[in-house]
Amino acid sequence: MAGGGEALGSGGQKVKRGKSKRKAKKRIGFRIDMTPLVDITFLLLTFFMLTTTMAAPQIMEMSVPPEQEEVEVAQSQLLQFFVRDDGAIFYSIGADTPEKIDPKNLKQIREISVRENMKPENLNKLIVALYTSGEAPYGLVVTILDELNRAEAIIVDNLKKEIDPQTGKPKERQRRFTIAPMLPDQVELIKGL
Amino acid sequence: MAKVKKKRVGFVIDMTPLVDITFLLLTFFMFTAKFKSEAESQQKFTIQRPKVTPDTTTIPQNDLAVIKVAIDSVTGDTNYYYELTNETDRAKVWGSVEGLTPEQRQLLQLKVSKEVLSELVRNTRIVRPNTKFAIDADRRLRFQWIQDAMDILRRQQATKFTFVTEKTGM
Repeated sequence: MAGGGEALGSGGQKVKRGKSKRKAKKRIGFRIDMTPLVDITFLLLTFFMLTTTMAAPQIMEMSVPPEQEEVEVAQSQLLQFFVRDDGAIFYSIGADTPEKIDPKNLKQIREISVRENMKPENLNKLIVALYTSGEAPYGLVVTILDELNRAEAIIVDNLKKEIDPQTGKPKERQRRFTIAPMLPDQVELIKGL
Repeated sequence: MAKVKKKRVGFVIDMTPLVDITFLLLTFFMFTAKFKSEAESQQKFTIQRPKVTPDTTTIPQNDLAVIKVAIDSVTGDTNYYYELTNETDRAKVWGSVEGLTPEQRQLLQLKVSKEVLSELVRNTRIVRPNTKFAIDADRRLRFQWIQDAMDILRRQQATKFTFVTEKTGM
């Protein structure tokens, strides 16, 4: 409003030279007190910051064989993992005696899986089986599954670098994995270990 | 005296940059905020999901059936819950199961026994065969609970499903 009045009076500017000092002081811009705005904005910001959950859920894909199917497999091409009632983890290659996996070093699962799968005679033939006791915590089982999935990623990566001499294309990966409850004789097998 | 009166005790800070940044952050958080679903706000439990290596997978939004296995935060009991995201399917499936009270038919998720769960899964597969199944279970539970849920899915020929998990380091 003040600015408008000034513009109207600009015609008489030259006449009243003596008052130019005062004119220079007048501002065209204006100030708004932003404090309430900032208050509310901060309030909303705090609310949204505290209510957002950054950890969006992920998913892990699983597939189980249909019920009717009973597959006979060669013992030699079998990599078995066992999870006992108390959460102890064992592995066994072929018909070997199960060996314990250090619970602090679950990375071992990944290493074993990659090592066994990458053996030329086992490639795309090895079946990885996870036998779980019903008493083991679910979180642990998922951790093992996660390690096996990461092993799978490494295997796929390795295979991409290898060229099949027959087709001239990178080798393809067929994953063979199964999860099942532990059988009574397996329970016996790892009981005292 | 007049001169003393003119002096100010307070001072003025230019708040414009502050407001700029605050608005920026506010907009960001407002857009990224994802609120609890209706079913989640009805439930009396929070699921501590198992932790896995971070990747880019996200839970599907459409035609999803979730079998939740959770520990009730008040009583400490473990129960199966069944949630369907598709509303029309839900009305059909809920309607096809015997023994539900009218109030229960209005719920978004049902607290179920293993037998009812099996029936719900079967009817869901009949209503919409391409429904995606997910198991959302608490990491503290015994694996038997999940094993049973997997068996139910397997018996209804739902051999592909997902486990709901969470990133590590959160």
